Amino acid sequence: MTPAAGAAHRTGAGGDAVVAVHDLVKRYGADEVIRGVSFDVRRGELFGLLGTNGAGKTTTVEILQGLRRATGGIVQVLGLDPGAQGDRLRQRVGAQLQGAALPDRLRVGEALRLFASLHPRPRPIAELVDEWDLGRLLRRPFAGLSGGERQRLFVALALVARPEVVFLDELTQNLDPVARRRTWEVVRRVRDAGTTVVLVTHDVEEAEQVCDRLVVLHRGRVVADGTPRSIVESLGGAATVRFTDGELDVRTLRNLPGVRTVQRHGPEVHVTGSGPVLAHVGAHLVAAGRPPCDLRIERPSLEDRFVALTEEN
Amino acid sequence: MTLTTTTPDTAATPTTAATASAGRPLDGLRTTARVAALELRLFVREPVMLVGLVAFPAVTVLVLAGVFGTSPDPEFAGVRPSEHYVVGYVGVVLAHMGLVALPVHVASRREQGVIRRYRASGVSGASMLACHAVVGVALGVAAGAIVLAAGGAAYGLPRPEDPWAVVGWAGAGLGCFVALGIALGTLLPGSRAANAVGNLLFVPMFLLGGGGPPRDVMTGPMQAISDALPLSHVIGGLRMSWLGATDDPRALWWTMAVTAAAVALAFRSARRRVG
Repeated sequence: MTPAAGAAHRTGAGGDAVVAVHDLVKRYGADEVIRGVSFDVRRGELFGLLGTNGAGKTTTVEILQGLRRATGGIVQVLGLDPGAQGDRLRQRVGAQLQGAALPDRLRVGEALRLFASLHPRPRPIAELVDEWDLGRLLRRPFAGLSGGERQRLFVALALVARPEVVFLDELTQNLDPVARRRTWEVVRRVRDAGTTVVLVTHDVEEAEQVCDRLVVLHRGRVVADGTPRSIVESLGGAATVRFTDGELDVRTLRNLPGVRTVQRHGPEVHVTGSGPVLAHVGAHLVAAGRPPCDLRIERPSLEDRFVALTEEN
Repeated sequence: MTLTTTTPDTAATPTTAATASAGRPLDGLRTTARVAALELRLFVREPVMLVGLVAFPAVTVLVLAGVFGTSPDPEFAGVRPSEHYVVGYVGVVLAHMGLVALPVHVASRREQGVIRRYRASGVSGASMLACHAVVGVALGVAAGAIVLAAGGAAYGLPRPEDPWAVVGWAGAGLGCFVALGIALGTLLPGSRAANAVGNLLFVPMFLLGGGGPPRDVMTGPMQAISDALPLSHVIGGLRMSWLGATDDPRALWWTMAVTAAAVALAFRSARRRVG
């Protein structure tokens, strides 16, 4: 099967992928910012594009929406070619764009009414106002909104057309921690309501907390993909058990199941391993009559993996 | 913040919604009209723009027309200087709209990402261009009417010698400067550049293109420059068709040629910038 046929097959009527990207390339002159990126997004999932600033995330989603032209590769969204059928496609997708704004003097209510009027079957404005807590802002001009208020308005505008796929680019930028967590909850509920969500973020915690599946982009390449857990586990699953016992003979720990290394740092003991290593170490210490008060385990986070991946590449 | 999850036709049948949307593509004209109407409303809320577009030319025409008086003058092709300036300033406000106000408006919308925001919601590039054109035409018509009303009320104006020709020249001028405005707005990198370049173009065009001294008192090189400026021809055409006399050049073909070049440039740069 050719790449084009493969992409078409995956996003066709019977396929479960609503977004198929195969060997995507984008160049600005001699500068290649996207270098052969491939991934699929399945219907109804909350998919993340995670990467450092300049990794090519925004360029990729703008190509997916037909707002930029790809230099090479195959891209299909909802079975359409964004480059050739962008106007049709944009009737079926919603977008909250990084760096996009509205006219300073445009009021929130006017923006909602205008964007609703651009679509044949918009969602009721009152419903969006309630959902995104915009009621007290309706007469406020865009220039007078805080960062968080702007983001809420942009998401409401992205959802006004009942999109099948919604692209949310750096959604929680400028939000305080409380608003950020509330936004994550709402994004999950957007997904639960049947909309496929593509979340673009450089925030590792956000990707780990919110996304069902993600790809990690670095310098225009995919350096990892999978669920947040599987990406973390690709580190090798090394967890570290720590406790304090200045007199324990640490050699007794080396033969426990799952244990890889044992090191003493003064009174503190560090045991690395995989699987239920914490349980084995704990059971051994209890059996030896030396239960520590500070037994704890540190597992690698997605952030550790992300940093490792970007440094490796 | 609450989310209504019981939107049956969204939640349960996303493909139904998709089919409905895909089967009823945007009505381009309706979209253009809605966006343009909103943009015009926003323009009225921008006092700086309104002062530049309307107040400056209106005050200038009142002063100039007052300075040179209301008696027929051979240096003004035998017409009253007040009438010479009031009619000519219709062209001046069109030039200001096309060289300063519209480019700054288009460039700032692009710079702020507003056009990308519209594009992401399914507003086509053609609709965006048409919207800018509607805004330019509306601003030009309003500003021209205000200048005529202010100047006519202060100094009086005769009936146009050839009203249809007046309409034709006003339309040609409007088309020319709207096209130039969109071309500059899409071509220049941002609103500050648009403002700087626009004023750099407007000021000499205003002074040598019929808004400043009469052609009779210009030196030879100044007259040569004046002949190349589209504003000179638009103003010349307006003065001839309204007052029946003028020394200004009035080649319609030149105005149309500049318009055609500006339209081509606008499409080219819009395709690149707006998509």
